[in-house]
Amino acid sequence: MRKTLKRVFALILSLVVAFALIGCGGQNTASSDDGNATTQPEPSQSGSPSQEEIKLTLWSISTESDAFHNAYTQAIKDYEEKHPGIKIVHETFENESYKTKIKSAVAANELPDLFYTWGGGFSKSFVESGKVLPIDKYYTEEYQAQLSRAALGNATYGGVLYGATYTTPISLLFYNKAMFDKYGLKAPTSFDELVHVCRTFLDNGIKPFGVSVKDTWVLAMTHDALTLKSAGPEKTAKAITRNGVSYNDPDFLASATKLKELIDMGAYIDGATGLSNDEACANFYNGTVPMYITGSWMAGSIMTDAENPADFDVTPIPVINSNNAKITDFMGGAADTIMVSASTKYPDVAGNAVFELTRSISKYAYLDGAGIPAWEVDYDDSSVNPITAKIAKLANEATSFTLWFDTLMEANDAGEYLSLLQQLYVGEITPQEFVEAMAAQLES
Amino acid sequence: MEKARRNKLAIFIFMLPAVLLFSLIIILPIFMSSYYSLLNWDGMTKGTFVGLKNYMELFTSKSVNFPRAVSNAILLAALSTFIQLPIALFLALVLARGVKWEKTFVSIYFIPVLMSTTVIGQLWLKIYNPDYGLVNVLLRSIGLEHLQRVWLGDKKTALIAVFIPLLWQYIGYHMLLMYAGIKSMSPELREAAKIDGATEAGIDWYITIPLLKPVIRTCVIFAVTGSLKAFDLIYILTNGGPAHASEVPSTLLVSMIIGRNRYGFGSAIAVSIIFLCFFFAIVIRKLFKTEEVV
Repeated sequence: MRKTLKRVFALILSLVVAFALIGCGGQNTASSDDGNATTQPEPSQSGSPSQEEIKLTLWSISTESDAFHNAYTQAIKDYEEKHPGIKIVHETFENESYKTKIKSAVAANELPDLFYTWGGGFSKSFVESGKVLPIDKYYTEEYQAQLSRAALGNATYGGVLYGATYTTPISLLFYNKAMFDKYGLKAPTSFDELVHVCRTFLDNGIKPFGVSVKDTWVLAMTHDALTLKSAGPEKTAKAITRNGVSYNDPDFLASATKLKELIDMGAYIDGATGLSNDEACANFYNGTVPMYITGSWMAGSIMTDAENPADFDVTPIPVINSNNAKITDFMGGAADTIMVSASTKYPDVAGNAVFELTRSISKYAYLDGAGIPAWEVDYDDSSVNPITAKIAKLANEATSFTLWFDTLMEANDAGEYLSLLQQLYVGEITPQEFVEAMAAQLES
Repeated sequence: MEKARRNKLAIFIFMLPAVLLFSLIIILPIFMSSYYSLLNWDGMTKGTFVGLKNYMELFTSKSVNFPRAVSNAILLAALSTFIQLPIALFLALVLARGVKWEKTFVSIYFIPVLMSTTVIGQLWLKIYNPDYGLVNVLLRSIGLEHLQRVWLGDKKTALIAVFIPLLWQYIGYHMLLMYAGIKSMSPELREAAKIDGATEAGIDWYITIPLLKPVIRTCVIFAVTGSLKAFDLIYILTNGGPAHASEVPSTLLVSMIIGRNRYGFGSAIAVSIIFLCFFFAIVIRKLFKTEEVV
């Protein structure tokens, strides 16, 4: 009896081990396949007519309700017309769930040929895992002339290019011009002027700023921008990417203190800790609050969601320390990136398609008022809505772009940053403690 | 039949699928998680072995604040044992006595259990909305403006505001278990007590509840382990915020693994949750056993 039991047990154990081995083995063989795929390019070249239809799968977050959906659809249509025999299957996913999906796809080696991702820290581990195809050799002179290398900084890892972009969104101060005019105010260019604006509105019983702390990235938009305007682009980028600058520094303390000053004077809408971004934006569109700091994508939403789009205007975020930063320094830059999987069956076709697609998306998204173009504008853009056109002009004259903290930082640092920012907002920690905790995280 | 039972090979063959499934889906992942919890790993690249460092960080890091998440979960477990279960027991006792529309009431109380948690979450988000939510509107209409809050956004009220729907949702579930337990008891006991002159309350207290003990024990275990694992409703209502005020271990786990790519650290949280659940399940069994001996 006992002997049989033992035998059964041994058998089960060995089965479990065997299954585990099969599981691991499967991964190994899959990754060696990848290696082959990258070293042996398919004979079919892009553009050349091939007998069998080539099918590329593209994943993105441009769902039907997304502002970029039309641009993607048009761009794919154009591409397919220009390249007969190549078909692009566009699959879209909701933003938050996509972040999970893309990570598990990398881990499971199930990336599609082309995929949308965020440049900077978000995709760093994808590139490091070797699942992304370097595309330097497809970045031809034609493309180089229309899309600057500077715009591709966030898709470049260790000097090697891994993706292309189509839009350079930036952070701005959106404001309700009608409300400003009513109280004789003008767009602030320095922090003192901003405080004066806030005071005037508060004296008249109006909460000056809309913000969401529940969706902490909205609050981060404000803090990122204040930090940039206090410490300047180089110092900021170095500090948050663990590049030899400590975060425990007077310039960083200044921005946290200024944010705290705004919070303490009651500049933010009541209940911001419980409001989502959509709910907070609605208060801005309907004229409850006169100001909102967020990305350039709001321009498109104002056109569709505000009752009176002509009331609204946009301005760069005020400077805190004019020794370090200029009004033309911007938070933002090209984070939206399309990359190629290292395991694609058609590396040459996909490598070329990345540039063709992003160029078209850049154009159509700008004409739709959805995005600020990253590629050269060599077409008529007089139909673009005035706010987007103004932003495009501002972006064009920008002296620097610094990617948002939570995109530029590594995922773990970014998570800690957002968590600390929330604690700063509700008053659980002081600006000094905030700066110290950031420094501790970035030095760990 | 007898023969088949003695045939060890037959037993082995019939048990094999279940044993295999169980070990592959439950036992193996637990061991794998335990192993991952010893790594510094982002889930994609190769992890490095760091020993017990994740666990040390778990209990010492001020910014992660795991002890607070655990104490929130234990508070939830206590609330569901001492508030949710008594309400469920009371409802079960009343309904099992045979009130009018007994079956209808049973169904009504069970509806929240059937509804998707996402729906319940959206429902309560609206109830708590600071502008047009039921709670604040009610307070305003009876002149208690000063009690109005941003219920889910205020760090003082977020925890309790999240717990109320959690407790409310599962009252019906425990009620149904207890109701079925009471209904399966022999009615003769009740009748005999009645003839001896016992009151309805007396019958409930001295006869029904003691006989219901095995069911109550199961309910307590479900309530406690369910509280330790609570996730979906909290994720929808506050996602652990503001500033960790309503954080529980499982929301922390998701924000670490999904939000911050810390698979090793997240696995350490998972192992801790498993350990806590086992610990409380054993303690509860022990408690009920000693009582039985006395």
